[in-house]
Amino acid sequence: MKSSLSASKSVAKSATPSPALTSVAKSAHSPTRHPTTEHTIMHPRHSLLATTAALLLGLALAVPPAPARNVDLSTVPRRDTVQLTIYNSEDLTLVRETRTLTFKKGINGLQFSWANTLIDPSSVELRFLTKADKLDLLDTTFPHDKPQMLAWNVVSDLDGDATVEITYFTSGITWSADYVLTSDAAERNLSVEGHIRVTNNSGEDYENAQVRLVVGTINLVEKIARLARVGMDKVREMPSEERQVLRRGVAKAAMAPMMNAVAMEVDEMDVGGMRERKQIIKEGLSEYFIFSIPGTETIPHGWSKRLRAIEAAEAPFKVQYRYRPAQYGDQLVRMYLLTNDEASGLGGSPLPDGIVRVFRHNGRDGLSYLAQQTTKYIPIGDKFEISLGPDPEVIFELIKLKAFRDTIWMRLQGADAYRKVDDGAIDIDVNSSVAGWADHELYTQRIRNYTAKPIEVEVRRAFRGHVAFRSALPGIRLFDFQTPEFTTTVAPGQKADHLFEIVRQQGRNARQNNVTLEEAALKMP
Amino acid sequence: MNSRFALQSTSCLALITALGLLWPAAAPARIKLITLPLRERVEIQLDHPSVTLVEEERIVPLVKTAADDEPNQVDFSWANTAIDPETIVFRVIGPAAGEANAGMQIRVHSVSYPPNEQALVWQVAASKSGAARVRISYVLGNLSKSFNYRAVAAHDEKTLTLAQYMRLQNFANEEFMGSFDADKGANLWAGWGRQFTRPVGLNETKEMLVAKFTDVPVRKTYTCNPATHDYLDRPQNKLRVPMHYVLKNDKASNLGTSPLPYGKVRLFIAPRDPKDATLSSTFLGEDWGAFTPIDDEMRLYLGVAQDIVVKRTIDKSERKRVAGNLYHYEITLKYEIENFKDQPVVLDIQENLRHVRGEIPNLAGSSRDVEWELLPATDLEGGPDKDKTTFDEVLFHVPLPARDKSGKAEKLVRRLHLRFRNEW
Repeated sequence: MKSSLSASKSVAKSATPSPALTSVAKSAHSPTRHPTTEHTIMHPRHSLLATTAALLLGLALAVPPAPARNVDLSTVPRRDTVQLTIYNSEDLTLVRETRTLTFKKGINGLQFSWANTLIDPSSVELRFLTKADKLDLLDTTFPHDKPQMLAWNVVSDLDGDATVEITYFTSGITWSADYVLTSDAAERNLSVEGHIRVTNNSGEDYENAQVRLVVGTINLVEKIARLARVGMDKVREMPSEERQVLRRGVAKAAMAPMMNAVAMEVDEMDVGGMRERKQIIKEGLSEYFIFSIPGTETIPHGWSKRLRAIEAAEAPFKVQYRYRPAQYGDQLVRMYLLTNDEASGLGGSPLPDGIVRVFRHNGRDGLSYLAQQTTKYIPIGDKFEISLGPDPEVIFELIKLKAFRDTIWMRLQGADAYRKVDDGAIDIDVNSSVAGWADHELYTQRIRNYTAKPIEVEVRRAFRGHVAFRSALPGIRLFDFQTPEFTTTVAPGQKADHLFEIVRQQGRNARQNNVTLEEAALKMP
Repeated sequence: MNSRFALQSTSCLALITALGLLWPAAAPARIKLITLPLRERVEIQLDHPSVTLVEEERIVPLVKTAADDEPNQVDFSWANTAIDPETIVFRVIGPAAGEANAGMQIRVHSVSYPPNEQALVWQVAASKSGAARVRISYVLGNLSKSFNYRAVAAHDEKTLTLAQYMRLQNFANEEFMGSFDADKGANLWAGWGRQFTRPVGLNETKEMLVAKFTDVPVRKTYTCNPATHDYLDRPQNKLRVPMHYVLKNDKASNLGTSPLPYGKVRLFIAPRDPKDATLSSTFLGEDWGAFTPIDDEMRLYLGVAQDIVVKRTIDKSERKRVAGNLYHYEITLKYEIENFKDQPVVLDIQENLRHVRGEIPNLAGSSRDVEWELLPATDLEGGPDKDKTTFDEVLFHVPLPARDKSGKAEKLVRRLHLRFRNEW
């Protein structure tokens, strides 16, 4: 009996999923494990990575000889459903799985283990979805010698089936967004494809899982991956109360009823019986957005899966050239500006942060690669602003034409009197030194446009110190207290000079640290 | 109803198979029956300054995907190549040619990335069984381009012929030839000029003539600028006088169709009689040609002129007190110039006024902008070049006569008279 039961246990553990729920048959008179406990394997899980199985078996064999009272018989109820809610701002996934268990009246032992996965042991919770009035969770035990396992004792008033829900946090499952923007050759419209990519490195295969992705940033006081690597006794030593409150708050929010669900628009295919592309559902929830993938997905450990989440066929966009050294470096860059709104065929949801890749039809039945950059979260109504880098067909030069000084103030520092020895002539020399002045610098911002289209150029340039910015530039304005900016249009094949003068007060003349705009008619010297 | 197709280059396929055999038993098995759709067309886009985009077109057989069916799997792998997997774009162009494929509609559902493999799998649904034309684009590393030029000046050095070459180096561990069109190869395009169709083999370097510009006016310049070119003989105050060919990238110069990219320029000069087959062009030297936008000039360094002697001295330096420690300074630079060539030439005298100010005692350390004006004693011909004179640079063009028949060069004396204002 002992050897056969041990063997059964070893086999059961080797085939046990990670995590696995094991039903432990108890003796009628003991709420805890008992040497006379009898076990049967009910539902061994059938889809395990061979590597995981081998590791589990190895672990099982490596366990030191156990006392006879620890010989258990286990059943392994399979998962009925599993739902993954993945947060991309943290390495955090809420797993909610349901299983059907058969209870007998009295005390029922349940063992939940998660060998070789990245589950936070402090987050595991058990809930009865059916027959809840006849079932109570009596206690939870974390064995000190098996850090990736816990045991529940459930007291039951029924003989029969009930559905339980187990929730826990795991790390190792992540998702990210990326976008492919392809401009037409004339650069009037963009085709936009937004994708989400789910990567499973959690150590567990999640088959036929409902997948929900949370867009937004949550607060965590500890990393799940760290908690997953320590035993429950260590977890308890951590500042648990605050952590638990936060965790439950997150879980509650993630499991709350869906609100304002909006199905994304995709072009329908009128083809009889063909399998349609999945339409990802987007919904607002508190400060977050949740993208839900309809149906279920299987993402084995180590695999990634990328799905199309956002699509717009002909989104109008704007090309603008920008000189903003603080953002794009000391160069004029070409920008694609696209608004996340209904006019663009977008606007159904915020756009999560991710990588944007930009292509353009080159007019020769092919694509040109333009740029790749990361973008921040884009709320509804805000813009994609994608820098394509400098354009060799637009030359942007700042030429200093002239420099001079005026408004020079001298500081008087007394006088020296001198007398010539031979004739007694007196010379009074007043000591003084320059204490304040104004530097004048005349510039032209020269823009040459060798493209075939008129271009719009925005110039934003900061000046430090007490500065007067003198010009006759139309639409000149202050972006902030030290940054004048103007926007101009340059016709194709044309050169445009934009004259301005900087008058910077220096020394005692400097009374401010800001820029004021002054109207002035300037000429090339 | 589930089928799987692999898009692999033949050069990588064998290696993938070998890797499969070497996998440990614990690795996830991916038993698959694959077909290998060949490349129909390859475009190598070289128009980005630093990135090479490869586009390849293939005909992929698909089976009808009913509502309950798993979609077709199209497997793309790129072992041992430097494909940036994040840039792979899969586009369905439409049904392949043929009546059987007419009306076929195709949808890409998702992409899966297997672990520890340079591969991905597209899930593609089709409204009917047939073949689809797809295009796959990706950024490929180690497939790079550079440019170089061959310039042959006419014997009189008034014009030159400029040939622009693109050099393609394929160290991407992938070939673009044979399987899709043995005679032609990949379409290559630099973003302007001629488009090429060439096979590109493994580790191969190809050089292609992109454009050839004839009768390009060229100006040979002799320039002295002590700030940049220094002295040839400091004790004798002899300036170094470098020579350049200057060509302008504009329509008037039979150029100006696009910016000229950076690259090495090899310079030759044609023989006196180009039709004489016994004579050949002579190598003059080489220089790096800077990126040259339209309407800008490319300057190509030829060496130092030995036959033009320019002695520069500071002839006069005076300061005039304005008040306290505030002064104006008057400086006179004197140039003694001799042209020992048999031809008249134009000497460009360029002065950086910050550099000149730095030669004045008391002002060597000043970092303020120079405030300067020309004074009447300046006798350099024609005054400063307005287009190339800025707030701290001044340029004059001084014509020099050829030496006389006896071999004697006329010594010209010219002066640059300056005032630096408001210095302290």
